[in-house]
Amino acid sequence: MSSAQNVEKKEEKPMKLEDILQSDIWNVDEDPHIIVDYNKCKNCPNKPCVYLCPAGCYVLSDNGIVFSYEGCVECGTCRVICPMEAITWNYPKSGKGIFYRFT
Amino acid sequence: MRIVVGMKWVPGTTSVRIDPKTGTLIREGVPSIVNPHDMPAVELALQLKDTYGGEVIALTMSPPPAIRGLEYLIGMGVDRAILVSDRVYAGADTLATSYVLAKAIEKIDKEIGKVDLAIFGQETIDSSTAHIGAQTASWLDWPYIYYAHSVKLIDNNKVLVERVLENAIEDWEVELPAIISTHMKALKPRPVRLINKIRYKVEKPLITWTNNDMKLDPRCTGLKGSPTIVAKTVDVPEVPRKKVVYKPKDGEDAAKWLIKTLMEDEKASKALIKALKEGGAK
Amino acid sequence: MNNLPDLPTKFDVIVIGAGPSGSAAAYLLAKKGFKVLLIERGRGLGDKNLYGGRVYAPPIREVWPELDKEAPIQRWVTKERISMVQGEKVITFEYKAEKKISFVSYLTQLSQWMSKKAEDAGALFVTEVTIDEIVMKDGKAVGVRSGPDFIEADVVIDAEGVNRLLLERLGIVERLKPDNIALGVKEVLKTGASNIESSFNVGPNEGVAWVIMGDVTKGIPGGGFIYTNKDSISMGLVLHLKHSMNFIENGKFDEHVSKLVEEFRFHPYFRPYWKDAIISEYGAHLTIEGATHFMPSKFAYPGLLIVGDAAGLLLSTGYTFRGVDYAVYSGKLAAEAVEYARNNGGFTYENLETYDKNIRRSFMYNELFKHRGAELLMNNPVMMAKYPSILMRVMEKMFEGEYTQETIYNALMQALKEEKVGPFDLISQAFGMVKSL
Ligand SMILES: Cc1cc2nc3c(=O)[nH]c(=O)nc-3n(C[C@H](O)[C@H](O)[C@H](O)COP(=O)(O)OP(=O)(O)OC[C@H]3O[C@@H](n4cnc5c(N)ncnc54)[C@H](O)[C@@H]3O)c2cc1C
Ligand SMILES: Cc1cc2nc3c(=O)[nH]c(=O)nc-3n(C[C@H](O)[C@H](O)[C@H](O)COP(=O)(O)OP(=O)(O)OC[C@H]3O[C@@H](n4cnc5c(N)ncnc54)[C@H](O)[C@@H]3O)c2cc1C
Ligand code: SF4
Ligand code: SF4
Repeated sequence: MSSAQNVEKKEEKPMKLEDILQSDIWNVDEDPHIIVDYNKCKNCPNKPCVYLCPAGCYVLSDNGIVFSYEGCVECGTCRVICPMEAITWNYPKSGKGIFYRFT
Repeated sequence: MRIVVGMKWVPGTTSVRIDPKTGTLIREGVPSIVNPHDMPAVELALQLKDTYGGEVIALTMSPPPAIRGLEYLIGMGVDRAILVSDRVYAGADTLATSYVLAKAIEKIDKEIGKVDLAIFGQETIDSSTAHIGAQTASWLDWPYIYYAHSVKLIDNNKVLVERVLENAIEDWEVELPAIISTHMKALKPRPVRLINKIRYKVEKPLITWTNNDMKLDPRCTGLKGSPTIVAKTVDVPEVPRKKVVYKPKDGEDAAKWLIKTLMEDEKASKALIKALKEGGAK
Repeated sequence: MNNLPDLPTKFDVIVIGAGPSGSAAAYLLAKKGFKVLLIERGRGLGDKNLYGGRVYAPPIREVWPELDKEAPIQRWVTKERISMVQGEKVITFEYKAEKKISFVSYLTQLSQWMSKKAEDAGALFVTEVTIDEIVMKDGKAVGVRSGPDFIEADVVIDAEGVNRLLLERLGIVERLKPDNIALGVKEVLKTGASNIESSFNVGPNEGVAWVIMGDVTKGIPGGGFIYTNKDSISMGLVLHLKHSMNFIENGKFDEHVSKLVEEFRFHPYFRPYWKDAIISEYGAHLTIEGATHFMPSKFAYPGLLIVGDAAGLLLSTGYTFRGVDYAVYSGKLAAEAVEYARNNGGFTYENLETYDKNIRRSFMYNELFKHRGAELLMNNPVMMAKYPSILMRVMEKMFEGEYTQETIYNALMQALKEEKVGPFDLISQAFGMVKSL
């Protein structure tokens, strides 16, 4: 565990989302609770999930969308905005997932 | 089979955060969870019960908040749970912890019924010594197998344990009672079930033992029974990471891309070539 | 051991979701002697709950008169602020309230307090279990299913919140669409109690509720919020999702949503309030925009009552959010309907329907229709942008003349001309807006 990497980030300088997300706590489920059909993403013109998923779970790479469920905060946005209905969305089971404390 | 499974209630975060002003750990609101590496142990115990019948008892030495973790395990299907908790156990190192756990297993054996197997996780995420299984086995003088992936009963008091190492798979015949530590990737734990949670709330299948029940010499427990001394702690400097995301078409594409990317990096390519020369033969 | 015969598999009432609505219903029913099962997918610590920050107390005191004394209240709201932002220019109104009718709280802690109340009153509180399905038989809800387990009940209360997957699966409501949904993204900034008290000029138990309109959302209908906790500040943005998508389509929104929040955090006018703060949490949740369109066609179905966000009972006027107190109040009405049914011959649809009637008669329903105009405003990016900018131009002309300054009248007329709005349009639209706000 490196301390430098994990030092609390102050609000002063612009931060990467992944650093902001360091303040959150998850108990990550073994299975993904969200499944994305990448085939449908190919025909999605604007890819709103990339901008609107607040946890940045959708990343546009050279070969298209890459989704990772681990940092999901279970808001439901992607399910609502996906124009191609490419997303099979569920809540994690067994109490897993995001653990909010001060919200 | 009566199986005891060890559980440690640990802070549920892998990234310990440090307050920049005070330099101390931020613990506020950090919830605890069942040590994730204990999950395969619990799953193995439950699968053995599914196959051979009997009961699974979860055991932890911990302050009372760990009850939430025991509730989780009962939610998975563990039959009952024992919390061993007392002020005199506080500050225990692995020696003192394993001593109390061994005595608790003896007590279960005597008062609840014969214990056939005790299963522990590979290690914890907050201390990761991986001592507890082996030390508990030593106190009890039971055989011990580490890195277990599967267990089969081969006759009434013998099991066949498969352990998976980096470059070998070994099968061991072990006489019961025995202690086993599971490999952290051995099995995927089952989810919590509604009906088991209702059972927990209705029946409260939970026993607490204090040192009044355990009757251990306080000199052998807690801080007093712990010879470990932390001489010094060092901060490991941050390793800068590139954080590149690549979505491969298939496994081959992934491998090709990875090797190409590593070879393009001067440092990485040197290390890679060195490693291939030295260890490639294995 | 999973099929022990003495395990209860039938309850009078099952409540799905231990948010404010579910916990209130479960609490009141347990207190009346019903056998209640309250099921929550989180760990029962409010750990799945996120909102803006301010709660209106009076409707909640009807359920828990001990609220003021016992609840985890951060600060009572004694100052209301509204700001309009354009670039670095900001107009702020402040109102010093006399009565303490609303407070700032962490919804995590408040939900935990409420579910604990329900459990202490005798409800069986089961956590870490996600319900997959409300089970129907012959058109009537008869229980719930989670994985392989089915548990039966006379009445199911759906308190699952805004995402309402279960109601969708039943076909009672349509698939959630961006049209009536907004995304809230929030940061909790820890700054220390004394910093808050000096920078906001409030006493130890006093706090501020602050709504921000205009540029902070880059023109996307929505707004910003700031609430003062004891030693931290909750701040963030609410963005209408349909308009966010339109903005993305038109290339007007091309950065990650967290960057908008960060720009708000860096805004020179607001930034001093959280100087030297550290981010103690970041999160997001959906909320309802336009409750009257979001409501299910009925609040009661055979064997099933719908409460809180799942029922669309959330008032968002553009300057206040009332979801928590509405949720609690709807939970109360649901509990009363169940009790009515028990005392009047059973849990028939006719008896449970009193819930539907009472919702429609309640102050909430009335308010939701009264404030429908706010939806129009929220749904109209042109209007959203125009008024702050007219006001801004007026102020600019009044205060920023280097040698000469304009009279208010001239400033207004010039501003209208520059924004291409006729004075009569302004008056009629403003009148319509004010009426609805
Ligand atoms: C270098 C170092 C120095 C330490 N010094 C001190 C010290 O001075 N004072 C002090 O108080 N602590 C100290 N600790 C912590 C303490 O030794 C351990 O937390 C504790 O003894 C358990 O060991 P572990 O977490 O490494 O478990 P491991 O041996 O890694 O765990 C293996 C398995 O054993 C089981 N298990 C572990 N703990 C329990 C438990 N409590 N109940 C039931 N089952 C359990 C679990 O199944 C787990 O998966 C130190 C740790 C380290 C790494
Ligand atoms: C950004 C934002 C700002 C807001 N600001 C305010 C404000 O300042 N003041 C105010 O009063 N209101 C505010 N609200 C609204 C308020 O948060 C909600 O109206 C209120 O929380 C609704 O309560 P509820 O009980 O209906 O639902 P929720 O609070 O959403 O609770 C639903 C519960 O059900 C659980 N659940 C869901 N599905 C399942 C399932 N399948 N199985 C088991 N459990 C399940 C969830 O984990 C959750 O705990 C805001 C909302 C947002 C998003
Ligand atoms: S919005 Fe839906 S279809 Fe489009 S890229 Fe994202 S997940 Fe794929
Ligand atoms: S639910 Fe929210 S946080 Fe999770 S992936 Fe979808 S948009 Fe992102």
